[in-house]
Amino acid sequence: MTWHDVAREDSFEEDVPKVVQVGEDRVAVFRLEDGFYAISDICTHEYALLSDGFCEDGKVECPLHQACFDIRSGKALDEPAEIDLATYPTRVEGGVVQFRL
Amino acid sequence: MTRTLIVGAGQAGRRTAELLRGLDAEREILLLGEEMEPPYDRPPLSKEILLGEERPRGLMQRDAQAYGVHRITLRLGESVTGIDLGAARVETATGDRIAYDSLVIATGARARTLQIPGADDPRVMTLRSMADARILGARLRPGLRLAVAGAGLIGLEVAAAAIQRGCTVTVLEMGVRAMARCVPEAIGTRIQAWHRAAGVALEFGCALTAIQPAPDALHLLTSRGPIEADLLLVAIGAVPNAELAGGAGIVVEDGILADATGRTSHPQVFAAGEVARIWQEAAGRHIRFETWQVAQHQPVAVAHALCGTAKPYAELPWHWTDQYGRNVQILGAHDAALEWLEREEGERLASLGIDAEGSVQGAVLIDSGREVTPLRRIIASGKPVDRDRLLDPSVPLRKLC
Repeated sequence: MTWHDVAREDSFEEDVPKVVQVGEDRVAVFRLEDGFYAISDICTHEYALLSDGFCEDGKVECPLHQACFDIRSGKALDEPAEIDLATYPTRVEGGVVQFRL
Repeated sequence: MTRTLIVGAGQAGRRTAELLRGLDAEREILLLGEEMEPPYDRPPLSKEILLGEERPRGLMQRDAQAYGVHRITLRLGESVTGIDLGAARVETATGDRIAYDSLVIATGARARTLQIPGADDPRVMTLRSMADARILGARLRPGLRLAVAGAGLIGLEVAAAAIQRGCTVTVLEMGVRAMARCVPEAIGTRIQAWHRAAGVALEFGCALTAIQPAPDALHLLTSRGPIEADLLLVAIGAVPNAELAGGAGIVVEDGILADATGRTSHPQVFAAGEVARIWQEAAGRHIRFETWQVAQHQPVAVAHALCGTAKPYAELPWHWTDQYGRNVQILGAHDAALEWLEREEGERLASLGIDAEGSVQGAVLIDSGREVTPLRRIIASGKPVDRDRLLDPSVPLRKLC
């Protein structure tokens, strides 16, 4: 497991994620009120990019079918999603946001 | 123990059973389905299944055993032939009589068939069940000449899948354009362009009058001349499976009439999902929906009503289609009388239906899923919106809610 750079801390807008591809994994990193959170960018219901979805109050919605996930825990909050998202630890190093995968 | 019997093990039946178990740990829940397949959602049938995926996730299909864990008794291959309202019991095709304390009818809808000569040939198909989708998917092979009757959502999704499988595809539509029932003309024109670019032939103003089956082909007689096909998919809408309810004396008018909680004309009987025509307070009339949304969310109202709490179903209609990797989402019932304006940002597009007061009443979005929730709120508010800001893609819609 290694730490991957995402972007400078001050370049994040709230509720607008940044996406990093690591091999086959696509990770979306969000700035919320209490810090940075990294989740898998792929909806567990059908193939869709959560980074294209609507985000509010710590939740992100799948852009295709409105399945909803908690960004902090990765939990699937309602049908049609039932499988939780992978989450990744984050940190800020020298002003740069990183996640570990 | 109280027993709730649910007739119809599709998406609405499953949802009713699962939601009811979540609200009431005690009661007996019996879910009867005609098909041998455990309940599944239908959206993948006209897409992934036709493209050869065996078990797409979007089916939301659980093993039959999973129902036991929640103490839902799932009986598959059971066809209910009659309801005796006075005795509060149903009869099955095998002669079983099953008593209930409350009954939920979730029998869904079936594909409308063509009433023309030759339509009973086995090469004329409809698409509604998993079995239909597997048969159709197995027949789609390179070079097959597929004709599709109907340029609605299902017909076009099948056309898109078939052309991707190497078939030669012709869509025959009586009306003048694609998806006329649910999108404005400008969006229909775009969708038509996707199909034509992929090689699908679209014939509008084309009425199919007869089918002459020959050993080597189906000869389709149309108002635009004869067409030869190896297979004809009929996708001309759905008919609610309301005969069981109607036969029992429950009020049926193009679907089982239900109030916003799902209760029918008989107080012990509820209707869930597409078979229901549901009272919608905002519209001031009963409406029958043919969507994943109603099968998914209206059972919430039914499950609550079964437990004695009112949670009326009142949702802005929403449905979607996926064709050629593009996602189209439709909010509100389409109304050609609205003024339809476009907000465009590269490949992403929102078409907004605006009324005389300047409020947004409906919307169609292409590859813009992020905007669905803000638009739902803008529509729900009913307030006039500043037109310049609405159409300016640099202004996020969330700022206008």
